[in-house]
Amino acid sequence: MAELGDIGNEFLRSELEEYVEEQVERQSMVDLYAATSPSMQAIAAAIIDGRHHDVDRMTREALDKDGQALEVMDDGLIAGMALVGIKFRDNFIFVPEVLACARAMKAGMAHIEPILSASGIEPIGKVIMGTVKGDLHDIGKNLCIMMLRGSGFQVIDLGVDTSPDDFLGAVEEHGANLVGMSALLTTTMPNMGRTIEAFIDADLRDDVMFMVGGAPVTEAFAEDMGADAYGADAVECVEVAKRLTVESASARP
Amino acid sequence: MKNRKSKTGRKPIDRADYEERLARLSDIFRDIATHADEQALLRCPYKNRFDRCTALFSCGYKRTPQTPAGLPVCASDDQLDYRTAWETDPASVEDMRSQLSSTCENAGTVSFDGRSCAAMAGKTIFDHADELEAKVPTSCGRMGTCHECIVEVRSGGDALAPRTDAEAFLGGAYRLACQAVIETSGKQIGFELLRRTPKILVAQGRRSVELDPMVTRQDDKVYYGEEELDNYRGHLYGVAVDVGTTTMVLELLDLETGCSRHVESFENPQRFGGSDIMTRISYDGGRYHGELHTAMVNTFNTVLRGICKRLGISRHDIYEILVVGNTTMRELFFGLDVQSIGQKPYRSKIEQDYRNGSRETTGLRESARNLRLLANSNAVVFGVPIIASHVGGDIVSDLVAIDMAGRKEPVMLIDVGTNTEVVLGHGGRLMAASCPAGPAFEGGLVRCGMPGCVGAIESVRYRAGKFHCETIGGVAPEGICGSGLIDLLAELRRAELMTPKGVFRNKTQEIEVVAEHGVTLSRQDASELAQAKAANFCGQAILMRKFGVSPGEISRLYLSGGFANYVAVSSAVEIGFLAPVAEDRVVKLGNGAAQGARELLLSRQKREAVGELIRKIEHVELETTPDFFEVFVEGCQFKPMDWNSLQ
Repeated sequence: MAELGDIGNEFLRSELEEYVEEQVERQSMVDLYAATSPSMQAIAAAIIDGRHHDVDRMTREALDKDGQALEVMDDGLIAGMALVGIKFRDNFIFVPEVLACARAMKAGMAHIEPILSASGIEPIGKVIMGTVKGDLHDIGKNLCIMMLRGSGFQVIDLGVDTSPDDFLGAVEEHGANLVGMSALLTTTMPNMGRTIEAFIDADLRDDVMFMVGGAPVTEAFAEDMGADAYGADAVECVEVAKRLTVESASARP
Repeated sequence: MKNRKSKTGRKPIDRADYEERLARLSDIFRDIATHADEQALLRCPYKNRFDRCTALFSCGYKRTPQTPAGLPVCASDDQLDYRTAWETDPASVEDMRSQLSSTCENAGTVSFDGRSCAAMAGKTIFDHADELEAKVPTSCGRMGTCHECIVEVRSGGDALAPRTDAEAFLGGAYRLACQAVIETSGKQIGFELLRRTPKILVAQGRRSVELDPMVTRQDDKVYYGEEELDNYRGHLYGVAVDVGTTTMVLELLDLETGCSRHVESFENPQRFGGSDIMTRISYDGGRYHGELHTAMVNTFNTVLRGICKRLGISRHDIYEILVVGNTTMRELFFGLDVQSIGQKPYRSKIEQDYRNGSRETTGLRESARNLRLLANSNAVVFGVPIIASHVGGDIVSDLVAIDMAGRKEPVMLIDVGTNTEVVLGHGGRLMAASCPAGPAFEGGLVRCGMPGCVGAIESVRYRAGKFHCETIGGVAPEGICGSGLIDLLAELRRAELMTPKGVFRNKTQEIEVVAEHGVTLSRQDASELAQAKAANFCGQAILMRKFGVSPGEISRLYLSGGFANYVAVSSAVEIGFLAPVAEDRVVKLGNGAAQGARELLLSRQKREAVGELIRKIEHVELETTPDFFEVFVEGCQFKPMDWNSLQ
C-alpha cells in the first residue's frame, strides 16, 4: 500500500490532499499515481490543471523517449481524468474547468492517434459537430464532443454560430458521414432544419446522417425537420452516434 | 538502451487493450456528463469555479469585475432559471468583448427598481439599464433622436455629464438614457423609467355592443363607411385608445367579431412636460413644441408593436384608431396647437372653429400615415368630439358607456382625474363642468404621493393607534396613491387626529404613516389635497344646486377614471370628496372612457348619436358662479358635504 509521500509530483500530492476526502478512494488514487513514472505524473497533473499546451508537449516527448502509447493513456491521460471526475462530482470544479481538462486530454490523444492508425485501429466514426447559426451556446455540444472522443470517435468541432455552408464544407473536407447539430434556443432551432435543407439543395443529404440535440429540441421536432436521430443528452449522443454509424455502414453497398 | 524510433516503428497497440482503455475513459466521462445534467438545474453551466462567466454570449447576470482584466463576474444567485438572462444575439459578442477590455472605475453604483450594478464612467444610463434588465423603450438605436428613453434620475444626477443637445428639451431630473453619460465615478445613481405600469383598471360590466363598425369588408375590399381603404388581407382590427393626462389605455379589437384581443394600460409618457394639463400646455408653447406629441406617438407605437408581436398580428390589418381624451390630450395626440386651451375662454382651435361655424363637428379625422402611427397606411385616426372647453371626448365616451342619452332619472357622472369632470343629467337635460383638481391625488405635489403603481399604498385603516396599509403588489410601500390618500384623510378625521381644516393634533407638522419606509403626510400635503378635493367638491355641489337636485335624489352616481375605481366610497364621502350619495347607488365604472371608446369603435350608430348628445349638454363654467369662492372654501374642509349650507 503506497503512501501520499510516495508520489513524487507535488501538484498531485496537494490535489489528492485537498480534494479526495474519502479514505478508500484516496488510497486507490494514491496507489494509482505512486505506481507511475515522474513523466506520467507530470502529464496527469497537466490534465488536471487543464494545461493543454503542456500535455501536448509532454505526451510528444514521452512517446519520443520510447514511452508506450498504452502507458501514456493509462498513467497520464486517464489517470489525470479520473481525478478530474472526482473533483467535478464533489463540486470542487465545474463544467468550464472540466471542458478545459477535456481539451488537454484531446491534445494528448492527438499523439496517440497515428499509432492507433498504424496498428490498424481506425476511429469508429467521424462526426462533424457544431452549434447552429445564430446560437452561441456550446456547453452541451462540448460535453457531447468529450463523450464522443472518449468513445473512439473522431470529432471535427465547428464551434458555435455554424452556418449551413460551414457544415457542408466540413463534410466535404473531412469526408464525414455523421453530422451533429446543437441548438439551445427556440429561435435558432429552425436553423437545424435549414441546414438539412442546404444539404438537400447541395444533393448531399443521402451521404450524411444528422443527429440533433439541445434543450428545446424534442424527438418530434427532430423528426419534423428530417433529422435521422435525436439525443437527449451527452450519454445518449454517443449511443445515437454508434447506432447511426452502424446503420450508415450497412446502408452502403 | 536509447533507441529512438520513428512513428511507424512504435510498438503497435492491441485492439482489445485499446478498447479496454476506452471503456474506462467512457465511464469517467459518462459520470461527468450525468453530473453535469443534474448540476445544470442548480447552477449555470457556464459559470466556473470562481463564479466567473465563460459564456461567449452576453447575459443579464454578467457583471464587470473589479479588476479590469479577466472574465466577467456572474451575479446570478442560481435561484431563478439563469437561461432567461442569456442574450441570444451573436452580434453582442463583440460588444461584450469591448466592454470587458474597457477599464472600469470602482465604487459607484447605478440602481433601478431595487437592483443595482457597478457604475462605469464613460457609459450611459442605457448601458447600465441593460445590465439591470430595465426595459427602457427606444426606437432610434440609442442615437438620441426618438426621445423614448426618457428616465427620471432620482439620485446622483450630478455624477452625469451635462445634457447633450439632444436632451435640451428636458428639464428637472429627466434625461435621455442613451445620452446621459456617467462622468464621475463613485456616486450612487438611481433612475426610474418614465413609463411605469399602472394598476390596470378592470373593465366592469362590459356590455355587448351590436357590431356595426365603420370599417367593413365587402368581398375582397376593406371599406371605411363608403370609402375603399385597402384589399382585404385576412383580418380587420381597430384600436381604441383613451389618452389620459396620467394614464393611457389601449385596446385592440377584432372588428369582424367584436372581440377584444388585448387591453394595455400604461403611464402617459409626457410626465417630463409637467404633471397637469396647464403645465403641459405651457411646455408645448415653449421652445420644445411638438415633443409632447412625439412622446405620445412613440409610446403608442411601442406598446402597439409589442401587442402585435405577441399576438402575431400584422400592423397592416389595423384600419382604425379611435382616440378619446380630454381636450388637451386629444389635440396633442393629433399634433394640434393647444395654446388657446390654456387661456380664457379655454377653447381649443377646433372648438373655436366649430363655434364660428367653420367646422361641422369637433370630431377629428386624420390618416395614420400622417400621424406616424403604427397601422395600415390608409388607416383612419378618429378623434371623438369634445363637449366644450376642458370637457373632452373622454367624457363623451363615459356618457356612451353609461348610456346617458337614454336616462330620465337624476344621474351624475364623475370622471376623477387631474382634471375632474362632472356631468349631471335629469329629465333629458344635461350639464357638464370641469374642475381643475390638479395632480395631488394622482401622485403629484404630495411628497409621498404616487400613481397607482406597484408599491403604492392603496388602502389605509387606523386601528389601536396604528396605521394598517395595503400596498399594490404586496411589496414594501414607496408612497401612497389616490385611494390610499382618501382613506388616510378619512381615518385621520375619524380618529380625530386631524381637524376639518387639515391641522394635525398636537400641532405636529407631519404624520408618520409607515415610519420604517419613510411614508409620511405633512401639513403642506394636507393643504394640497384639500384644494384638489375642493375642486371635485365644487363641480358636484354647483351642478346639483343649478339643477335643484339634492344628493339624496341622485339615483345613480357613476365614478370613472383614474383611481376612482379603488376608492372606498365611505372614506370619500367622509372627507367630502364625493357628495353624500348612498353607497348602494354608487357605480364604479372602471375606466368608463376606455369602455365607451370600445363601444364607439364597434358601433357606427353610437358614434352618430354622439353628435346629438353633445348638442344637449350645457357647459357650466364653475368660476363664473357668483359665490364660487365661498363654495371652494367650504370644499377645502375635510368633512362630509353639507347640502343645506350650500343653499
